[in-house]
Amino acid sequence: MLHVNTYVPIYRTNKEGIMKSLIAIGATVAALTTLSATTASAQSATVTQIMERGTMLCSGHNGSYFGFVEVNDKNEWKGLDIDLCRALTTAILGDPEKAQIVPLSWAQRFPALQSGDVDVIIKATGWTMGRDTELGLQFSLPYFFGGTQIMAHGDLGITDATGLEGGTVCVEAGTTIERIVANYLQTIGVTTNNISYESAAELRSAYLANRCDAFAAWGPFLAVLRATEIDNPDAHVILNDQLSSEPIAAAMRQGDDGFVDMVNWTIASLLIAEEEGITSANVDEMVANPPNPRVARLLGVEPGMGERLGIRDTWAREMIAAVGNFGEIYDRNLGEGSPYKLERGLNNLWSHGGVLYAPILD
Amino acid sequence: MDMTTTEDLRARSRRRKLIIQTLLLAVTVIAILGAVRSAQQNLAALGITSGFGFLDRATGWDYSFSLVERSIDDPYWRTLLVGFGNTLFVGFVSIFLSTILGLIIGTARDSAHPAINAAATVYVQIFRNIPLILQAVFLYSVLIHFPGPRQAVTIADAVFVSNRGLMMPGLNLSLGVALGLLLTLLALAVALILRKVPLLRGFGIWLATSVLLCAVTAVVLRPEGGTILSIPELKGLRFVGGITVPVELVAMITSITLYGSAYIAEVVRGGLNQVPRGLTEAGQALGLSPGAIWGRIKVPMALRSIVPPLGNQWIFIMKATTIGIAIGYSDLFYIVSNSITQSGQTLELIFLLMAAFLLVNFSIALFVNWLNARLQLKAH
Amino acid sequence: MRMSYADTTQRLGLWAASFRKRGFGTPLASVISILVYGGLAYCIWLAVDWAILSAVWSAKDVARCGDTSGACWSVIDARHRLILFGLYPYEEHWRSTLACVAIIATVILSCFPAAWSAWRLAVLWVVGFATYYLLMEGSLLGLRQVTTDGWGGLALTLFLFSAVVLLGMPMGLGLALMRRSEMPVVRLFAMVLIDFIRSLPLLTTLFTAAVVLPILLPSWLEGDKIWRVIVAFALFFACYQAEVFRGAFQAIPKGQFEAGKALGLGYWSIMFRLILPQVFRHALPSTINMVVVTFKETAIVIIIGFFDVLASAKAAFGTGEWSPHYLEVYIFVAAIYWVFIFSLGQYGEYLKGRMAIAER
Repeated sequence: MLHVNTYVPIYRTNKEGIMKSLIAIGATVAALTTLSATTASAQSATVTQIMERGTMLCSGHNGSYFGFVEVNDKNEWKGLDIDLCRALTTAILGDPEKAQIVPLSWAQRFPALQSGDVDVIIKATGWTMGRDTELGLQFSLPYFFGGTQIMAHGDLGITDATGLEGGTVCVEAGTTIERIVANYLQTIGVTTNNISYESAAELRSAYLANRCDAFAAWGPFLAVLRATEIDNPDAHVILNDQLSSEPIAAAMRQGDDGFVDMVNWTIASLLIAEEEGITSANVDEMVANPPNPRVARLLGVEPGMGERLGIRDTWAREMIAAVGNFGEIYDRNLGEGSPYKLERGLNNLWSHGGVLYAPILD
Repeated sequence: MDMTTTEDLRARSRRRKLIIQTLLLAVTVIAILGAVRSAQQNLAALGITSGFGFLDRATGWDYSFSLVERSIDDPYWRTLLVGFGNTLFVGFVSIFLSTILGLIIGTARDSAHPAINAAATVYVQIFRNIPLILQAVFLYSVLIHFPGPRQAVTIADAVFVSNRGLMMPGLNLSLGVALGLLLTLLALAVALILRKVPLLRGFGIWLATSVLLCAVTAVVLRPEGGTILSIPELKGLRFVGGITVPVELVAMITSITLYGSAYIAEVVRGGLNQVPRGLTEAGQALGLSPGAIWGRIKVPMALRSIVPPLGNQWIFIMKATTIGIAIGYSDLFYIVSNSITQSGQTLELIFLLMAAFLLVNFSIALFVNWLNARLQLKAH
Repeated sequence: MRMSYADTTQRLGLWAASFRKRGFGTPLASVISILVYGGLAYCIWLAVDWAILSAVWSAKDVARCGDTSGACWSVIDARHRLILFGLYPYEEHWRSTLACVAIIATVILSCFPAAWSAWRLAVLWVVGFATYYLLMEGSLLGLRQVTTDGWGGLALTLFLFSAVVLLGMPMGLGLALMRRSEMPVVRLFAMVLIDFIRSLPLLTTLFTAAVVLPILLPSWLEGDKIWRVIVAFALFFACYQAEVFRGAFQAIPKGQFEAGKALGLGYWSIMFRLILPQVFRHALPSTINMVVVTFKETAIVIIIGFFDVLASAKAAFGTGEWSPHYLEVYIFVAAIYWVFIFSLGQYGEYLKGRMAIAER
């Protein structure tokens, strides 16, 4: 059995949960102590908290967002974003099984992060100024680039968004896409009726039932949907308009620089591993026989990789052994190894014509 | 018993009560202060600025339904108002329809005729015993699987039914005039009820007046060069002209009305049941028709015990509009929820949401109390 | 046709006669009867044909679904585990099954008059709930641990329901007592709280608990989202239940309280020994109604992101393969709700009738 994707719902014990809630009933009494509130600790509070808890809380989805966050037939989570969460979990806790996926709708992800229901959002989330500033978030290195596009029913006979005049466009509620689409259509002077739905499943069934003439979403998602979920792919066209290109990154709460470093270097290490040709299959070999000093440092053969982040020197090695490098993760979830067979395009390493690159590992 | 001990006991009891109350008050105050402090710290840590300044910012997103013109450049305050309007609209329409339907079904439930009774019972037992939100998403799923706009089912090329909703001919009136007309008719209905005009005749008067008034307004106030009637017509991807009732609104009103009327039917049946048999028999002895017995004896008598629980059902229906978010109808909750995600101003928006519902439900309660008082007074 | 009614069953002869008189007494009545019964029979025939006669039952026969005009129950055959148990680990589904049985058994046992004392009911519900929790969570029984995030489907709906009733009942009693208190501040507190919660849609209360409370509470007091929502839901239940109790209190003659006082009994012993047992009895039919409403209202948690039975139903037809069969899935879930709610509701009606007779 493939253990990579096993769903392991373990985290803080529920005895604690009940206790907390029972205490919460008497919240009024307990509120007394808020006056002597605790102050943030010096080092990464989030990492410390994750280690104490023994599990990592990541964002899932209320349904499936194909290729990124999805639930398979055995009720297990999988996808690119899930694998990144598992990579991060392995880096911090040494075991991918300690990742705990919390199902969330799009609209709930930021409140959930702010309230501490999750430690990090890795959920096809675009980096925007509003989120960065007003919502009090902090973004990591982008790990994916994808733009908003529009898919329409083929029988409308249109190829670009100007043909949508008077039509209905459906989007998911609480996403950047909602604003991008509204803004774009207004700019090109096309009047439409836009309906937003709370979940991808709802949106998909509304589109397929022809409630909407068009479906605006993130390009890769539309491509995946068209390739696999729709009986007759030719009956749908992805319009020529490229509404945006979003850098997709992990989102964290503001004010914990140590944790941001941790997430950044997790992503960077996955990219460096791909660059250096380190895979889950050959990682042990590479450890025994590092071809160059960069690999030696990355895999913790030479010290320094862990100490700077306040964790084990071998974290990247364990992480690659558990989930593979970035290329492996991509192939497994979106590329050749997946049903979707999505080209890497922009999402390849810079050395292969893409725009992904890692900061320098010194 | 010794007097001093009694006095003593009383004093002790009084002191204890004082302590308990002071404690409760203190705990409440501290809890509120603690929450405020905690909120300040949490928001500061997240870098969120609190306050209502965001209400003037443009939202930048669109939503499914509004009675008035909308744009993505609307500020938050206007978008929220539109959402509030949508909630009130769907709430009042559903209240109106479920009250009428509930009255009919409730009367059928009270009927001596076994078949009518059975049919009404089936209706009540089906729609009352399935969660409203399930009925709404169910109905919505069914409706969006109807044929698309270009294959729309049509009646005489004037009414179109498709998965986009219901398109029908409408009077060519501006929004302001239409709203004014609606309010006038509502006022007329209330006036008729208060004058205690027998129900059937009252309804007849109301209907006739409505039709007449609408016709006159449409002829007199029609836009320059426009026709009196505006008929929907397929142009490109949508219907132009007439009245379009989007499918989300149809699903909302239908599901809430079905559910609400099943409950109201039970309230009505309870009320009709309480009317003494002697009164109806007296009516029969006088040779009154069943319709007259119902309209002049049973309903007026039952109304007094119907109105208070009916008011509760009205408030319930108003609260039930929050399911809109499940099927993409932009009610106030939907708008607030979306605004929270897009702006991050959680506390302010929740405060507005609560205030709006308290305001509406409090007003309905006041109205019902007033109505109740009127009915009770007149009866004596 | 007419005669056959009266002939077939002599025991029901009297009823049949009355039925005939009311249903077929006049020509108009007869026409109505024929139309209504005909319509009902036609609807039933359509339903039976669709759901049973023309239906495809097995997941293996899914290919035949396209040809038949009937229901495609293959989707239920293939996905019922997802609907019932959500994302709970597949190999551990026996635990979910047993846990659900425990809750349903608790509800059924509570319906027997033998269980009708506050203590017995409390013990029954605590035991039922604990059984559920231990089985589902697992770690205390030495099973594989599954936290609440892994719970879903009907199992989660039953969990929310039982937790809300169990927590809300004592809270409701407390609020009712506060509402009746002689101390003005206590009374005012209960009144404001009850009116406030009752004026707000349940969804608003739950949404506040899920999303807003974490901002208002210090982090150590937050607890899990599911528990925050349960406490808020229980508060909602309590505010309505408090009004039920209040009504029951009013049915008890004031003299009893004074008699207790005259006997030198303290407040609590008057309450617990004298008043409350009667209050519970009076409140029973309305309480059952509240419980039924609560069960129905749990469906709303899908909006605040719980994987309840409605959410898992949507997931069940949310794949390309099953998406045409949304109707079957919704009907399946609606039937589950309907059976629960209808039977409990009928039981409540029956009790109300019986108690009305007893009081006469």
